[in-house]
Amino acid sequence: MSKVVPFATALTTAGREKRATESRDPPPFAEMAVTTNYSFLRGASHPEELVLQAVALGLAAIAVTDRNTVAGVVRGWTQHNLLKEQNPDLKLKYVAGCRLAFRDGTPDVLAWPTNRAAWGRLCRLLTAGNRRAPKGECHLDRADLLEWGSDIILGVMPGAAFDEATLATTLRELTTAFPANVRLMANCIHAGNDRRHLIRLARLARVAGAPLMATNDVHYHHPDRRPLQDVVTCVREKKTLASAGFRLAANAERHLKPPQEIARLFADYPKAIAETVRVMERIEFDLAELRYYYPEESTGGFGSPDEALAHYAFEGAKFRYPDGIPDKVRTKLTEELAVIAGRQYAPYFLTVHDIVRFARDEQRQILCQGRGSAANSVVCYCLGITEVDPAHSNLLFERFISPSRNEPPDIDVDFEHERREEVMQYIYNKYSRERAGIAATVITYRTRSAIRDVGKVFGLSEDTVGALASTTWGWSSDGVRDEDVTRAGLNPAERTLHQVLTLCRELIGFPRHLSQHVGGFVMTNDRLDETVPVMNAAMEDRTHIEWDKDDLDALGMMKVDVLALGMLSCIRRAFAFIAEKYGERLTLATIPKEDPAVYRMLGRADSVGVFQVESRAQMSMLPRLKPEKFYDLVIEVAIVRPGPIQGGMVHPYLRRREGSEKVDYPSPSPKHGDKDELEKILKRTLGVPLFQEQAMQIAMDAAKFSAAEADGLRRAMATFRRNGTIGNYRELMIGRMTERGYTPEFAERCFKQIEGFGDYGFPESHAASFALLVYASAWIKTHYPDVFCAALLNAQPMGFYAPAQIVRDAERHGITVLPSDVNHSDWDCTLESLAPDRPPGRPHPLHTSMASDIRTGCAVRLGLRQIKGMREDDVEMIVERRRGGYDSLRDLWLRTNLPRAALERLADGDAFRSVGLDRRDALWAARGEDSARMRDRLPLFDLPAYADIRKEPDFALPPMLIGEHIVHDYRYLSLSLKGHPVSFLRADLARRHIVPAFALRDLPNDARVSVSGLVITRQRPGTAKGVIFMTLEDETDIANIIVWPKAYETYRPVVLGSRLVAITGKVQSAKGVIHVVADRIEDLSPMLATLSADASDLSALARADEVARTPGEDSRVRNLTRHPRNVRFFEPDNAEAAHAVMPKGRNFH
Amino acid sequence: MTTAVSSPPTRRILALWLPHLATDRLHRQMLGRSWRSPASRAKTSPASSAVSGSRPGGEGEERFATANETSQWLVSSDESLSVSDGGNTSSQVASTSPLAVIAKVKNALRLVAVDEHAEKLGLAGGMSLADARAMIPALAVADDDPDADATLLHAIADWAERYTPLVGLDDHGLLLDITGCAHLFGGEEALLADLHTRLLAQGFLVHAGVAGTPGAAWAAARYAGGTIVPPGNNAVVLAPLPLAALRLDPDIVSAMQRVGLKRIGQVIDAPRAPLASRFGSDLIRRLDQALGADEEAIDPRRSPPSFIAERRFAEPIAREEDIAATLSSLAATLSASLERHGEGARRLEYALFRVDGAVMRIVVGTTRPIRAPKLILALFREKFAALGDEIDAGFGFDMARLSVTVSAAVDAAQGDLSGEINATDSIDALIDRIGARLGEESVAAIVSRATHIPERAEGLATAAAATGRSTAPMQPADTPRPLRLFAHPEPVVATAEVPDGPPVQFRWRRAIYHVARAEGPERIAAEWWNTTGPTRDYFRVEDEAGRRFWLYRDGLFSETGTPQWYVHGVFA
Repeated sequence: MSKVVPFATALTTAGREKRATESRDPPPFAEMAVTTNYSFLRGASHPEELVLQAVALGLAAIAVTDRNTVAGVVRGWTQHNLLKEQNPDLKLKYVAGCRLAFRDGTPDVLAWPTNRAAWGRLCRLLTAGNRRAPKGECHLDRADLLEWGSDIILGVMPGAAFDEATLATTLRELTTAFPANVRLMANCIHAGNDRRHLIRLARLARVAGAPLMATNDVHYHHPDRRPLQDVVTCVREKKTLASAGFRLAANAERHLKPPQEIARLFADYPKAIAETVRVMERIEFDLAELRYYYPEESTGGFGSPDEALAHYAFEGAKFRYPDGIPDKVRTKLTEELAVIAGRQYAPYFLTVHDIVRFARDEQRQILCQGRGSAANSVVCYCLGITEVDPAHSNLLFERFISPSRNEPPDIDVDFEHERREEVMQYIYNKYSRERAGIAATVITYRTRSAIRDVGKVFGLSEDTVGALASTTWGWSSDGVRDEDVTRAGLNPAERTLHQVLTLCRELIGFPRHLSQHVGGFVMTNDRLDETVPVMNAAMEDRTHIEWDKDDLDALGMMKVDVLALGMLSCIRRAFAFIAEKYGERLTLATIPKEDPAVYRMLGRADSVGVFQVESRAQMSMLPRLKPEKFYDLVIEVAIVRPGPIQGGMVHPYLRRREGSEKVDYPSPSPKHGDKDELEKILKRTLGVPLFQEQAMQIAMDAAKFSAAEADGLRRAMATFRRNGTIGNYRELMIGRMTERGYTPEFAERCFKQIEGFGDYGFPESHAASFALLVYASAWIKTHYPDVFCAALLNAQPMGFYAPAQIVRDAERHGITVLPSDVNHSDWDCTLESLAPDRPPGRPHPLHTSMASDIRTGCAVRLGLRQIKGMREDDVEMIVERRRGGYDSLRDLWLRTNLPRAALERLADGDAFRSVGLDRRDALWAARGEDSARMRDRLPLFDLPAYADIRKEPDFALPPMLIGEHIVHDYRYLSLSLKGHPVSFLRADLARRHIVPAFALRDLPNDARVSVSGLVITRQRPGTAKGVIFMTLEDETDIANIIVWPKAYETYRPVVLGSRLVAITGKVQSAKGVIHVVADRIEDLSPMLATLSADASDLSALARADEVARTPGEDSRVRNLTRHPRNVRFFEPDNAEAAHAVMPKGRNFH
Repeated sequence: MTTAVSSPPTRRILALWLPHLATDRLHRQMLGRSWRSPASRAKTSPASSAVSGSRPGGEGEERFATANETSQWLVSSDESLSVSDGGNTSSQVASTSPLAVIAKVKNALRLVAVDEHAEKLGLAGGMSLADARAMIPALAVADDDPDADATLLHAIADWAERYTPLVGLDDHGLLLDITGCAHLFGGEEALLADLHTRLLAQGFLVHAGVAGTPGAAWAAARYAGGTIVPPGNNAVVLAPLPLAALRLDPDIVSAMQRVGLKRIGQVIDAPRAPLASRFGSDLIRRLDQALGADEEAIDPRRSPPSFIAERRFAEPIAREEDIAATLSSLAATLSASLERHGEGARRLEYALFRVDGAVMRIVVGTTRPIRAPKLILALFREKFAALGDEIDAGFGFDMARLSVTVSAAVDAAQGDLSGEINATDSIDALIDRIGARLGEESVAAIVSRATHIPERAEGLATAAAATGRSTAPMQPADTPRPLRLFAHPEPVVATAEVPDGPPVQFRWRRAIYHVARAEGPERIAAEWWNTTGPTRDYFRVEDEAGRRFWLYRDGLFSETGTPQWYVHGVFA
């Protein structure tokens, strides 16, 4: 509203009397309007920071009130609880609330539920707003508030320039509906007219009968956050700082202020300050009240959930131990059941049991397996949730459910990735959408996204932003380092850039929006949307709640992670093949245990495709670790992780295993107690801590952490990234350990390892669950490489290697792999029994040692799914109408009526060999089948007798040479069975003194050598300090290349851009692991062009040269045409094709 | 090349291809037009001004290129190579670094053109910028500017009219019908050599091909390394070239390659029906066009201006009076046709075609549509005066053309019977005149800006840009600003209550003022991204005599300790 502002209506006389500010004790003040960064792109501080600051300033209470969401309230609450634990006298009260913003012009209203029922109504209100709006928005009207608002205290928030009439109407309506519950918020906005502003508000409040209440409308915890708040505002408004204008606040006043300052600002309105405390005192609701009632339907037929659980557990135990339940197991079972009953967790176990039982059902047979800490539980094993036999392990139930910790168990179950949806649908059907929901995932700013947004706000060009972003690999959250900035050709000290980088670092970790968790399900016994608001997900018909797994953990709400795992799909398919072709019926539980053949194979690092241990790092570890028993696999899985690597545990462990180092256990000085205290913890890993819980146990036993301290440490570990609070425990742990007589070095290493676990925690139970799948997949690969290959191809995409490598590996194990064909292939890859006269192939010399372990008698037939761009329903049609087989392309076309594009795809995939057409002839035929002509076709002409009416003049197509076929195989099938591309270049390579990769095995250490191959993978692990590992493949073998950072800088374009490279460097060979350390890297990709050259190309070149020699022509131009390097000038299409078709190489981090 | 003596002249087409048009344009901008020629980069050589000895004196460069600001040939100064807006970071781009032009294609930044340096390093159009950067961190990039490229290509086309009047535009190149023209330059080879030399001296790499059909010439330029195809030899030359040389849709080329048809020779003599049914009739048409079996006309460049008046002279004119007189008569012609259409000119171009083929263009813009010949003349007169001696008539102009490049509807009020011009008209006319004389950027208007900082809330914008633009949002309500804001705040000595009380009294210009009433503070913090500076607390104060001031304390006590006070304005 624009009206004439009378000058100085609220004149103050100079030299007023002393204000309340200077009195000793300011009146207590509760800040009840706090916008955190969970009001996405509005607040500029984490809830945790705000709570800490509120304590520091001595506020009476803080209410987190985010805009139309409660996504941040648990974070603040958790922080508050933590502080309360540390200091029971803490006087700060924490209030969970919300700031409601309406779409109908109603001013913002702060909502503080006074009790559990009111909280439920607030959640219903927000759910209603969320559900009617597109993802990420919430559409509320005043009517919604009137419907759901009872027992919620409402603070009406006038804007900086409010409209008195609207405000009065709102107040009137609300006070009529909820007398005694409405407040008018007053804030000092430092706009020069604060006094007039307050006078007007006070008048309005008086008229409406809604007490005035003081606030600072907080948006950040400290004035230093103003720049960041301006930045997020710009991001939200899609403006640059320069163009945002009045959208930005004029000053840095929206921070938490101490009671003294509030008292000074509201000196004329002491009641407004007192009102904050009065309101705060009326809030009885605490988030802890969201006591969780687990669904009870799975109790079915039993008197109590505990009875039901005991019944199922012992039933399961009988099944697990057909020869009688071992005493150890029986005792543990009874103990666990007692703990579960004591904590009333039985319904939770029954629910998970029910889900697993559904999946395993006779008709469905969906493979599933629990992972994570649940594997510590005998009950879980007996219920069939996990597969790690507690009779053979030392897993501790306390790691799963600790009587001393008030935290719910967390059961994660992996399902086949292709069939998880069935399980999810089951859950929705059983519990209905009102009672089941998926947890949220908080998407936070990472380096790249932060750089992008902040850069844009500063008006940096897209290119500069791109250059900065590209200096980081993947999803780093460390910010951009100055060296990298310099390397990108920019100056980090330059003022603007410096600001950008600083603000980026601050922005990293800020929540950006909510998304749906991959599979964390929350189920309730009553309405879910009265516990937490539900919102729309990006996927249609999907909803998720506003809290993520950490929030749920903190509140003690139980959830089940229904996860998807590709390897389970692969194993299920493999079991089906084995049952079908070899008559052996296997399950995860019945695979023969401890088969030495499996360990022999893994010990040779023959692990392409095997779960978890197929990466470069794992392959280098296998021959050194030489696993001999299941527990070695558990270690193998856990050891190649950031935790042990950063903690420097890998080499000591390997040395001890090899016997080159004595196994000893550090011990405290005698006066500090049991000298064997570490031996108990570390015996199974030869005195070297490798698992997360070992590190934790060291903290408790060797550093004498109290249960609460240990709990804090564990939490800090889990949220290492987010809070960086783990450093607080460093002094404590190292100090206590050295005090007790341990060497500082050992203590330091133990702590380092804990930090490493913070990145990627891998507890022993989890490693054990994964090791089971390692064993299962390795067992299949050992004995049935045909089955393994087909199952793995059908479960793609997954794992480390592309289909080309999987097929090659199978071939090297003596498997015949047959091409995709319209008459023989299904959609999936299949197994074809070999004709009796065709014996299985012989394994490659590398693998002859396992020849007797291989039981295979089938060939793998590639499925039509292997052809790029093929649609599954088209293939189904082909298979369905195939009957006795197709005798021509035309026959197939007439019977299936497929579109021409699909025929061309099949032709490109060279799938017409069985009707006597190679891909070129097939393509010619396919393009001739014009669907337009087909429409006019008379049925008569379909008769074979009239076939030659359509006769066309013969057309002589040039035959396709093998090299070109291979190029096309790679393009359309991403692999070739006809040969390895590099083999066609071998003569050329030999001339360049490049040796085949297989020959590396015979070279001595430090020999200089050149190898070459297609780039299969590039890996730059975070733990390897900028070293790049490349894997090359030629027709003989794989070559492992190490590129040190210096070489990488020199040859960066080649390393990243080329598809065929030559590497020259020194051989490094140790324990069967061979590397070449690159000092020269050459891009040979252009050589690939010669693959697709055919006779016509070569003669064409010769002729072109003649023509080019016209007299008087510019010599520069002639040189262009002559120089062999400029072959591309002539062959833009071919060269590009061959080059681009070869795999780019997969990049891993 | 000795062209035949047969009666109907054999058709000869020259195709020009500028593979690095976009990057050449940028290099010229950064390094000067002569960046490709090492000699002239050393700034010493009088580059051989070979054939058309049109230059009377001077340093031997082509006149059209040294030209003047009005020539479209020159790229305007404001389009500088922007590598970054992030402060002075852009200055680090070395002139020698490989260069690429980028654009957002399908949500990713991709290279759309690269220079030869980048090409040699393995970069190519279509690559994503991220990939390219990973390979070549030193890659310099600039945003794609298709309009600038097109303008440049037009300018080259203008220039190419020196060889033949029939010049057509083509994708990144030109098609010239040089039938019967080559002998003027000493034959086709000499013509090609001349063209190469001249364009190279101008900083352009071209590939040129000459053949009997546009199709064959196009293919020769792009795929045969720039050759001259003797008449009747089309098929021989085309045969070894890839199919893409037929100007086919890439999908068709790819489909044909997959069946093994890669070179034109494979389809020249092949049966047509199977080809047509599989790859479409376009293939046959393109083949016939290239071979000459199907006529293909060059689409001559059309000049889009809606209103044109031109005059040719039997005797070239050179004197300034003649040039002006011609302009005057052209303006009169133009004015009549503008009036018929109810239009007025917003931008006018006067083009003078020199006998030697160079084209001088003088452009004037107006703030308001005009059509009166007098006004037009006046505007150009300013321009002539500014250009002074720079109009070089050489051996004279043989054609003059006045065209309206931008026009707009004129309201009927203009040019009423009395012939008087109303007030705004005269202001606009003044702006036009001053702008024409001193440059449009020299005339500025005051505009308001959306910023909290009082002294930054107004600024200057060019008059042309400011007119018609609605004023920027004013200060949020309720925070009045003084009637007079001092350009420089004046320090005062004030006493006030800590931390943020208003001044009780202050001394300004040696007088003491006792504050009777005050309101505030209005707290305004520095725009941290621009400047560092303390937060200001502004107060409106009234002294005992009723004088009202706008004072501020520069800095909070917590920030600075002993902040200085200023008076920043007065209210009445």
